[in-house]
Amino acid sequence: MIAQLVDLARRRADGGADALWRRFERTTVAFEWGRLKSAGTTEEAGANLRVRHRGRVGVAGTTAVGGDVGAQHAAPLLDRALASADLGEALDLEFPGSPSPPATLPTVTTYFDRAANASLVDLIGIGRSLLARLEREGCRVNVAIEREVTATRVANSAGAAGEYRGTGFGVSADVWRIAGDDVLVVSDAFEGTDLPSDEALAALIASINARLDHALRVVAAPEGALPVVFTPAGLSALMLPVTQALSGKAVLQGISPLGAKVGEQVFDPRFSLTDDPLRGGRIASRPLDDECVPSRTLALVEGGVVRRFIYDLETAARARTRSTGNGQRGIFGKPVPAYTNIVLNRVGALNEVGAQHAAPLQLGGGLLGDIRDGLLVDELIGVGQGNVTGGAFSHPVALAYRIERGAITGRVKDAAVAGNAYELWKQVGGFGDDARWTGSRWAPSVLFEGISVARR
Amino acid sequence: MIDRLTAALARSRADYTEIRVERTWSTAVTFRGRRLESATASEDQGGFVRALHAGGGWGVASFTSLDRLEAMVARAGELSRAVPVDPPIRLADVPPHQADALLDLDGDVRGVPIAEKKRLLEAYNGVMLGVSDRIVDTLAVYRDEVSEYWYVNSQGTRLHELRPEVTLSGTAVARRDGTIEKGLESIGLRRGWNSVQDKAAGFREVAERAVQLLDAPMVKGGTYPVILDPELAGVFIHEAFGHLSEADFVYENPQAREMMTLGRRFGKPVLNVGDTGAASGLRGTLPFDDEGTPTQDTALIKDGILVGRLHSRETAAAMGERPTGNARAISFRHPPIVRMTNTYIAGAPGGGGFEDLIGDVKLGVYACGAFGGQTMLENFSFTAAYGRMIRDGRVAELVKDVVLAGNLFQTLDRIDHIAADFRWNQMGGGCGKAGQYPLPVTEGAPHVRIEEALVGGEVGKA
Repeated sequence: MIAQLVDLARRRADGGADALWRRFERTTVAFEWGRLKSAGTTEEAGANLRVRHRGRVGVAGTTAVGGDVGAQHAAPLLDRALASADLGEALDLEFPGSPSPPATLPTVTTYFDRAANASLVDLIGIGRSLLARLEREGCRVNVAIEREVTATRVANSAGAAGEYRGTGFGVSADVWRIAGDDVLVVSDAFEGTDLPSDEALAALIASINARLDHALRVVAAPEGALPVVFTPAGLSALMLPVTQALSGKAVLQGISPLGAKVGEQVFDPRFSLTDDPLRGGRIASRPLDDECVPSRTLALVEGGVVRRFIYDLETAARARTRSTGNGQRGIFGKPVPAYTNIVLNRVGALNEVGAQHAAPLQLGGGLLGDIRDGLLVDELIGVGQGNVTGGAFSHPVALAYRIERGAITGRVKDAAVAGNAYELWKQVGGFGDDARWTGSRWAPSVLFEGISVARR
Repeated sequence: MIDRLTAALARSRADYTEIRVERTWSTAVTFRGRRLESATASEDQGGFVRALHAGGGWGVASFTSLDRLEAMVARAGELSRAVPVDPPIRLADVPPHQADALLDLDGDVRGVPIAEKKRLLEAYNGVMLGVSDRIVDTLAVYRDEVSEYWYVNSQGTRLHELRPEVTLSGTAVARRDGTIEKGLESIGLRRGWNSVQDKAAGFREVAERAVQLLDAPMVKGGTYPVILDPELAGVFIHEAFGHLSEADFVYENPQAREMMTLGRRFGKPVLNVGDTGAASGLRGTLPFDDEGTPTQDTALIKDGILVGRLHSRETAAAMGERPTGNARAISFRHPPIVRMTNTYIAGAPGGGGFEDLIGDVKLGVYACGAFGGQTMLENFSFTAAYGRMIRDGRVAELVKDVVLAGNLFQTLDRIDHIAADFRWNQMGGGCGKAGQYPLPVTEGAPHVRIEEALVGGEVGKA
């Protein structure tokens, strides 16, 4: 039991300890190139222990725990954590006490019986129905269905503890069309804690089909400084520099361009960004983080003004501030600050559990109407390569469409877009009405004016 | 362990069953700047079962608790029966092998105290920091592991292996005012402690280069003759071509099969490409793949013509070709899928050296090292670590932000000169596919010339 592990650690580590135990079971079904191919199951459990001894912090992890952390596993794990602390740098790490009054952790729904109890036959059924509705001449379809049931326990020597269970459900599909040397792939995915609703599956299919229909015709790329609309999925290149810069770890290292800008108007007044671990139906949601810090919704940017950064216990201790409840830890290695659900411009109620695609689906979220000549970008190649935090990006397109006189005229193959994320977010051309979840990010399409588009 | 696995196999009711068990001891040390970020030792263990019933799909199960072995063998069989597949999955024949393959540990890392590993990394990290006060930040990572590996299948193969691995990497960040540049050193070997001694020179070199890049201009975007150094040429052939030669991409996709028809011309006669899991001491080297098939040297492009591809037993049977020993899994958490091992562009005998490639180039780019690369099927984008202009047949000034982008088919066809100076790049990192990352692989190449390629350096200036 994890409490006993922490208790054992406390007796030998003079500065206390904390630990995480996690177990999951995953069931997968895969359809490859249009036919059912495999079914799988995964059972995994492990524990991660952190100790503070003589002012130094050490970490160790193991999967050799069976279903639980028994005494025969606890002792070697503790030995390794203490050996790690022996070498560690001094750190004034304080483990948070239990919230007062106790047991006032926020409530968030992370577990759905329907998802947990879905049978293999149910999973195969979802896949078959998707496959049938995506089939088309000259194309091949891959579909993967995944269901996960998790249990998490965290505890520390200051008396804080928490446990919760969760379900996760993922449905992904990609449609391939190869014509000569032209390879086209259009994909989309549903991700949530409950079974996808019929509407969500219909939206997923509509999303793939709409983008595929427009992609069949290839047109010449435009060139110059042009208006470009990024779809919720295509927005990654513009979001990544901002989220990296808002991490307390980057601020601490002195490499965040936003490090000294708290309270300043840095972005367009219509730009807001929130980290929300309390959103129902999302896999990244949880009542407390992996270091026993209760979850809360965190405004990072409000009305274009930088409000705060995310911290885990260690970066907070180094920065002499408090953890924001963003500690994330795996079985191996030490905790790191990480986002949960990133929400761009939350307006009104979020689509809770059901359809995560805007319906009726309209590519570009209503932003295309006034564009004489421009681009709609759905996917770029090489996002995350190079000096991301600096904000400059330059990427060839993987999937993009030309916009002429307010409408999509076809797919553009050989084009690259470039710009600086910080400059572009200062003045946004417009936000679309098609906000949706892409993984754990909620965002609409966004229009930027004057993005450099090169043809090759 | 083999006896226990064999007993579990005997109870399986499936027509084909295989079991893998792994136990991995690893340590990792990380420095950021002068600060030790972490030093940890971990133990990871678990098993994987894959079963096939006649007329069924793959039933797979992975688990961390070995107490569950027998239950998981049964479960994998049930899962296979639950997914009817037509036409049935067939496996190409591989004769059963029994082997105890204990690879050379070259200084067993398990016998070296973690404090000593910390000292080694601290020294390399110190070398980077000591180059200049312009080096404002570093990231240095040491990682090692020894994996004990057991594999059995119901056709009589029984394998026991000890697989070592050690990787070192260093990133040096140089800064002056708003300009930030970096240098990256990376070493990865399927060996042990002895092989990572005396490596300071490489760390010094990348830190020095990061400082030099502060004064280097951006390369001017445009079309140039481009010479790739062996490191970038290796990454290029892996990313841009290697993945297309993995048969799981083509075996059940008629259009893809047509695109990758054997006999199709992919390049000029000077181009020879292959993949070998049997070379000695490289990261992608192993005696057997994760289906118990012996590894081999497989020719992919010969004299510019596509002649082969990489197979698992399943893709080989489906295409009527021979298994090549390329079914690999990153750990017991994953099924084996078709992957590369050590992929190479062969040196051209009589191709000369670097000087022979640039002699007749009036204006060109020498692209060196790799910060990263991504391929979306026929399109790719690679970021070189740095570049040098070539002017009138000579190497000229250092340039930065050298990004190569292009179409695979066009670019392969434009390789017009290959030198004889082949070398393997013994780098860390690894390859990612279908959620399995990082898989240890190596690439090798000589200097390679592309007669015309798009270099997108200045595109970044909106």
